[in-house]
Amino acid sequence: MLLAQVLLNGLLLGGLYALMALGLALVWGVLNIVNLSHGAFIMLGAYATYFLFTQAHLDPFLALPFSALALFALGYAVQRGILNLVIRGPMFNTLLITFGLEVVITFLAQFFFSADFRTINPGYAGTNFDVAGLTVPQVQLMAFAVAIGLTLGLWAFLLHSRPGRSIRAVSQNLLAAQLYGIEPRRIYALTFGLGTALAGVAGGLYGTVSQINPYIGTALTAKSFVIAIIGGLDNPLGVVVGGIFLGIAEALTSLYVGPTYTDVASFGILVLVLIIKPAGLLGRTA
Amino acid sequence: MFRILFCLALSAVAIVARAEAPITLGASVQLTGPVANTGRYYKDAYEFAIDRINAAGGVKVGGVARKLALRVLDNQSDVNLSVRQYVQLLSEDKVDLLLGPFASNFVLADSAISEKYQVPMVQGGGASDQIYSRGYRYIFGTLPPASNYFGTTIEALSRLSPKPAKVALLYADDAFDVAVAKGAREQLAHAGFNSVIDERYTSNTSDFTSLLSSIKSNNADVVLVAGHETEALNFIRQAKSLGASPKLYSFTVGVPSADFRQALGSDANYAAGMTAWLPAKSLKDAWFGDAEQFAKAYQARFGYEPDYHAASGVATVEALVKAIEAANSVDPKKVRDALARVNFSSLYGQVAFGPTGQISLPQTMIQVQNGKVMAIYGAGGALGKLQYPMPAWGKR
Repeated sequence: MLLAQVLLNGLLLGGLYALMALGLALVWGVLNIVNLSHGAFIMLGAYATYFLFTQAHLDPFLALPFSALALFALGYAVQRGILNLVIRGPMFNTLLITFGLEVVITFLAQFFFSADFRTINPGYAGTNFDVAGLTVPQVQLMAFAVAIGLTLGLWAFLLHSRPGRSIRAVSQNLLAAQLYGIEPRRIYALTFGLGTALAGVAGGLYGTVSQINPYIGTALTAKSFVIAIIGGLDNPLGVVVGGIFLGIAEALTSLYVGPTYTDVASFGILVLVLIIKPAGLLGRTA
Repeated sequence: MFRILFCLALSAVAIVARAEAPITLGASVQLTGPVANTGRYYKDAYEFAIDRINAAGGVKVGGVARKLALRVLDNQSDVNLSVRQYVQLLSEDKVDLLLGPFASNFVLADSAISEKYQVPMVQGGGASDQIYSRGYRYIFGTLPPASNYFGTTIEALSRLSPKPAKVALLYADDAFDVAVAKGAREQLAHAGFNSVIDERYTSNTSDFTSLLSSIKSNNADVVLVAGHETEALNFIRQAKSLGASPKLYSFTVGVPSADFRQALGSDANYAAGMTAWLPAKSLKDAWFGDAEQFAKAYQARFGYEPDYHAASGVATVEALVKAIEAANSVDPKKVRDALARVNFSSLYGQVAFGPTGQISLPQTMIQVQNGKVMAIYGAGGALGKLQYPMPAWGKR
């Protein structure tokens, strides 16, 4: 019973992990930018949802589209204004720039929001129901559903919509895409905006199950990075598999080996995946 | 004639200048970074104490009243940077004496600098017994020993009837929390409690669901958590969402802080904890009147309630002032010897340092009841009524 409960906890957590990593994987796959400021955008999304909830009294789940929109605009602008300048440069430059962005965003967040801890705490937060002797936390379940829904939505968008196909075209063959009249600058900004919008939603959900402060970003970037590698960058479903895999692995490690070893487990898995299946669990082997 | 007058004038200027040169206290504090939430309490406390002491005339050394000055550097919650900053404070900024950072792991590293330069550091932010186990002579601390944090709590628990059968002990893997757990483990065994869970977890972990599920399936009655405020917040929120409700849970940090209760709202109720300080009228102070007046003035100035961190920070400044006046000098070695002998009543309590340099104060067990921090059990016995067992989450 305990094992089943822990597996369920891991599964639900994994869904949220997946959504956190989704934006990072998308941007990485298409723009070839490892966005080290990804966690900072998650943090901003969490604050956006927090303020919409506390100031505008909007239900946190209804606030998610607004946070996503705000983060999309921010991401679009950041890509056009800053990242586009170095997109053709070596990867090291983009790493440096996104690292710098992370520092700046975190500093500004502390300046404007203070280092106080916040939680998004609607009346129904923390409620749960029992199914077959298992306790199912309601908000975690809703967050899981949103995460899976958005991943499937992104998958469908990339496969079937016109801008989605443009994004894939640009990432697969830039020259060919340009010959077909696709403007890569717009597509890059659109992709980066989508990535930050996903981060925004992930942040809002994170705030409803955990706590928010200006410094949560770094750890979340690291986690997203691990998931993106485990899952592979080829398609969003890989990220879901990676997230859930990691969530369950951490939960089991915590139960059977000891809670001190969860990080050892997740980075250990990362190393194993890199050795055995470098393209990720669902990635095509080269 | 003019030459003599000129010399007189010069020496007069020199005397005035010497009388006015402030005594500079230096500290490296977490103003940004993950621990800034608590670190800023120390900066506020240092400023507040120094302003008050200066307004009352300053510090008397050799018959001259000298003002205090403060030099605070932001260590960005980075231990290595804080070590470098203490070196800078002593070697370049030439501060006279040192105040401490927040948190045991910082003090543990930074006290090596005060020891090396033989300049006393009085710190109110680190409680780990490890700080005082190395035979250092220049480190003094106003937080009582970590190993005894759960002392009064365990005493209060053993007087409950029926006595809680199963206890779970969780602790983070850092200097302070490991010391807390070590002490609590011994005290639990001594009081005859059965520990069903004794687990160490990674600092800053955000996921307690596995631990909570095993607490639930073990039916632990009491859960003692030695960790950080973020962890206490996550623990309580996840306990609620998993419907884990032991009869009591107690946290080493967070519970006395205003922003902990603000972040959790009504979910903070029933959470127990401990504090070395409560703003009682009976705690008299030479500069602030008493602890209650201090708390009011502090709230008015900074806009938040002071907790024991702030009071402890003020006590460190006062201890340095008392020692300087007793030594009648700012010479670090003389001040160090005077610190070893200080004994005065303050808004924080009776301040006197044991042979290792650490204060000895009892912790008061507290519990959040209807959004207010209530004293439950102190060194002298019960102070209030513990709400035990806490109601299940669904029945609140």
